[in-house]
Amino acid sequence: MSEPHDLILAARHVTKKYPASNGRILVANNDVSLNFYRGRTLGVVGESGCGKSTFMRMVVSLEAPTEGEILYRGQDITKLRGEALRQHRQKIQMVFQDPSAAFSPKMKIMDIVCEPLLNFKRIKKGEKEETARRLLEMVELPGDFARRYPHNMSGGQRQRVGIARALALEPEIIVCDEATSALDVSVQKTVVELLVRLQREKNISYGFICHDMALVQSLSHQVAVMYLGNIMEILPGGQVSHGCLHPYTQAMVGAVFDLHMDFSHPIRSIDSEAPSPLDAPAGCPFQSRCDRCMEICKQERPPLREIAPEHQVACHLYQ
Amino acid sequence: MLNIRDIAITYGGNSIPTVEGVSLEMNQGEIVSIVGESGSGKTTVIRAVLGCLPGGGRVIRGQIQFEGTDLGSLSRDAWRSLRGSSISMIFQDSGAMINPIRKIGPQYVEYIRTHQRISKKGAWDKGVEMLERMRLPNGDNIMRSYPFQLSGGMRQRVGIAMAMTFQPKLLLADEPTSALDVTTQAQIVRQMMELREQYNTSIIVVTHNLGVAAYMADKILVMKQGRVVDAGSREKILNNPSSDYTRKLLDSVPVMGGDRFV
Ligand SMILES: Nc1ncnc2c1ncn2[C@@H]1O[C@H](COP(=O)(O)OP(=O)(O)OP(=O)(O)O)[C@@H](O)[C@H]1O
Ligand SMILES: Nc1ncnc2c1ncn2[C@@H]1O[C@H](COP(=O)(O)OP(=O)(O)OP(=O)(O)O)[C@@H](O)[C@H]1O
Ligand code: SF4
Ligand SMILES: [Mg+2]
Ligand SMILES: [Mg+2]
Repeated sequence: MSEPHDLILAARHVTKKYPASNGRILVANNDVSLNFYRGRTLGVVGESGCGKSTFMRMVVSLEAPTEGEILYRGQDITKLRGEALRQHRQKIQMVFQDPSAAFSPKMKIMDIVCEPLLNFKRIKKGEKEETARRLLEMVELPGDFARRYPHNMSGGQRQRVGIARALALEPEIIVCDEATSALDVSVQKTVVELLVRLQREKNISYGFICHDMALVQSLSHQVAVMYLGNIMEILPGGQVSHGCLHPYTQAMVGAVFDLHMDFSHPIRSIDSEAPSPLDAPAGCPFQSRCDRCMEICKQERPPLREIAPEHQVACHLYQ
Repeated sequence: MLNIRDIAITYGGNSIPTVEGVSLEMNQGEIVSIVGESGSGKTTVIRAVLGCLPGGGRVIRGQIQFEGTDLGSLSRDAWRSLRGSSISMIFQDSGAMINPIRKIGPQYVEYIRTHQRISKKGAWDKGVEMLERMRLPNGDNIMRSYPFQLSGGMRQRVGIAMAMTFQPKLLLADEPTSALDVTTQAQIVRQMMELREQYNTSIIVVTHNLGVAAYMADKILVMKQGRVVDAGSREKILNNPSSDYTRKLLDSVPVMGGDRFV
């Protein structure tokens, strides 16, 4: 591999299958191998439904892979059970995509934010409100929100509660699943600056799932591009806009709305239909929508190949 | 077509209004984007237009007129027939539209059949067709799934499909694409624009993506702390914003290949 970064967690050949209607099988992740390094951010982008959240749920031990292993400092955490699993959980936290589904509506914000701290006896009951206020203020929310209920808040306010809760335990790895998508760009910038500062101070690793290509490339050391459960490209964040090679990554970069675009031109996108994860084609998963598709693409699945330091692509154009 | 006149809204027994002094006039076929601070009242305003404020929310001042009728004076039945057919909403949180413990199909069929006399089979097929128009592959499988079996963006597209089923005259879209990848986002934005071209639908879109807001809108409103701090044409807001807050927002937009945090 490339530069020697400190590897904390490695997913090795992870596959996840779900049963679907009419006895069929849905392959949500297909042979995914990704690494988390100390103090670095792994961004994950890709089509809605391509398996990003599924992958991260396995990283945080909420689900088990169908095949493959997840090594945390060399130990396969998919085998952990009971107290060992519970203790392990404090090291990896997740900010969920859908905050209202993740919180119990009957709990006050301070109970939600402090729940992990109380579970692991890091604070006493009496310190709850004060701790919650401090954590809320870190994510630019008024401390008084500690006494509110989640349904009395706006979407972006609830999302920041999720971030505050994940930060509370000061874990080694934090997975952010669309953690800033409900924030206005100004608050988003503040939250991202906070995350990056904590990363520098405490050497936290982030897994950052995000649909905003401009944002994800700006804060990720590495970006992984997924499509139909497969990794298509892994590249340094700074190279996404000009150095991406996979036709799917290029299509995504071309579909970004920005303030300086020509508003009179229709936005570019991929027109053809997405294939269903229920019957993924043989060969390249992207073939049905790729305008550079060749004969070999329909027969052979292109393997992920390193074509430059820290840059891997799965595409027959670069074999 | 829609005329919001100087409304103020409060939640519960709050003495200070959450939203104050918001006005907006819209013609048929116009698209308005609302952008602004998280918690500034964007969702509150468009929920008021749909007449479904949660948590004891009330319009305490001002008026909302839709095609000449004061919405505040409507009976429950009148509301029910308006909602879903003439005015419909894409919710920020798809959970507000979809019951998490029932399969998608029966819910969608029921929704269609409250607004249209159609057989169950006919409604099912219509649902599948709408889902596939929202680029959800294998609509039939989606209809047979529970919400938790779908990804966040797939659930969001179910909500979008439902809201667009009856080609409403006014579509209220609250963060319709923030759960979607960029290529799907581009497609859904196009679909919404097509609604306008084909059916002259008016759209209010609330979004944090200023690129999407600018691309879609004839007019942009910028909100902060319950008030409109800036309003005007796309060109005015982007090139000559009158409030410092708008300027700050524009400066915070992440740019491809721009400043990096790491
Ligand atoms: N519990 C489950 N049972 C069955 N299928 C599931 C389950 N969870 C996810 N899936 C399926 O797995 C696929 C991947 O879903 P996932 O939530 O990982 O997507 P995602 O990349 O996070 O998408 P999004 O960007 O929309 O959130 C989807 O086709 C989804 O329907
Ligand atoms: N049911 C409720 N009861 C009491 N207060 C509420 C309720 N819903 C929202 N609020 C408050 O009203 C204000 C406006 O909320 P709203 O949801 O309209 O904001 P928003 O502009 O849509 O924000 P976001 O961009 O984060 O979704 C917020 O400060 C919120 O805390
Ligand atoms: S392998 Fe072939 S079909 Fe797949 S992305 Fe590359 S060129 Fe396109
Ligand atoms: Mg997801
Ligand atoms: Mg909102």
